[in-house]
Amino acid sequence: MSDHLTLAQVDRDGAIAETLDRISPDSRAGFLRKGAILGGGIISGGAVLSALFADAAEAATENDIAIANFALTLEYLEAEFYTEAVAMGAIRNARVRRFAQVVAAHERTHVAALKGMLGARAVAKPSFNFQGTTESEAKFKATAQVLEDTGVMAYAGQAPRVDANAVLKAALAIHTVEARHASWIRHINGAPPAPRAFDQPKTMQQILAAVAGTRFISSGPAMTATGSSPSFTG
Amino acid sequence: MSEHLTVEVVDADGAIRDALNDIETGTSRQGFLKKALTAGGTVVLGGVAIGGLPALVTAAPGPAQDAKILNFALLLEYLEAEFYTRASASGALSGEAREFSRVVGAHERAHVAFLKGALGSKAGAKPTFDFKGTTEDQAKFLATARVLEDTGVAAYNGQGPNLTKPTLAAAASIVSVEARHAAWVRDILQQNPAPAAFDAAKTQKQIESAVGATGFITA
Repeated sequence: MSDHLTLAQVDRDGAIAETLDRISPDSRAGFLRKGAILGGGIISGGAVLSALFADAAEAATENDIAIANFALTLEYLEAEFYTEAVAMGAIRNARVRRFAQVVAAHERTHVAALKGMLGARAVAKPSFNFQGTTESEAKFKATAQVLEDTGVMAYAGQAPRVDANAVLKAALAIHTVEARHASWIRHINGAPPAPRAFDQPKTMQQILAAVAGTRFISSGPAMTATGSSPSFTG
Repeated sequence: MSEHLTVEVVDADGAIRDALNDIETGTSRQGFLKKALTAGGTVVLGGVAIGGLPALVTAAPGPAQDAKILNFALLLEYLEAEFYTRASASGALSGEAREFSRVVGAHERAHVAFLKGALGSKAGAKPTFDFKGTTEDQAKFLATARVLEDTGVAAYNGQGPNLTKPTLAAAASIVSVEARHAAWVRDILQQNPAPAAFDAAKTQKQIESAVGATGFITA
């Protein structure tokens, strides 16, 4: 698979260019040192995106690749969910719509970043069927809350399992943004934004079981909790 | 405890707001020095104001390093817990701001208890605080809360890679709650709850500099 990513392609919102320097104090130095990403893909010139993830890609272990692909699968799901919800036009409330638009952009950025890091090792995007939850504002709101809380638990569960520091930094930088999303939609929904003093992690198995229960993934590569390469379920 | 100089703030409102703003833009040390000099005050030096904390060694993770980092986290949690406790007691808050302070204060106090328990006899003592009126005015409270919560996220994320895995798991369970707090108060303020796709990580030095610049820690 060709991984010729340019900053323009992945950073339509300007989110990456604006925020990359904030992720890690040494991200810029890392970018200057490294030019290629794992899997043989090349990030084109000016691709500030790769600074952190080039670091991450070079240091990643097989275990890290499995974790990153797990995260990528969840981010594919979220990105598609939000993008579809915005496109469906069923969201009438301006506050909800703004949430959907901002979060859609973030999740797309997360997809791009994880794909960039994984290069040829990235799992392909599955096909999704959101079972009507993108077609009703009420269902969208409820589903978004579940997805974001799930994302928080997923990243919390995986962070201690990551080997490479650079991969961990990326995971932590995404983890807290998912928590902001969760708090935001809970607040919109009239639910407690921060329901407890300590958030609980969930294992990869628990998360995958929860995702399977939604039936949102209709076809394409299925993740296995063992972390091995995904097998096609056809 | 090292000697430190406290700022004579001529314009309490402006100086604090500016200092807080500088934390967010990452120019806290420079910006604050400039303002302190023009205001005629003497300067709180970040590291000195929070005296007694050893500089973190970013060696390979281990129990001794965990303890240093948890004490750094404990300092921030002491600050947040006290901030919310005083704000809730001040009678200045109403409506959702009051509810926010009640809920979040309980969380921060729980974080303090957890970290003290984890550190045992190694736990640092609670500093003395002066919140410069930010706990006594709802608008200042909300603005300050936002900066404190965003700073907490950046502080924990900055230390994550330096921790042993079990301690990282504990830190992860706390940092996402700080991020929830940050998003919540941002939404109360009608600001973007999630301003970036990736949250910043800051180093211990950056955090200490920023916190020192507020002047909240007086001893």
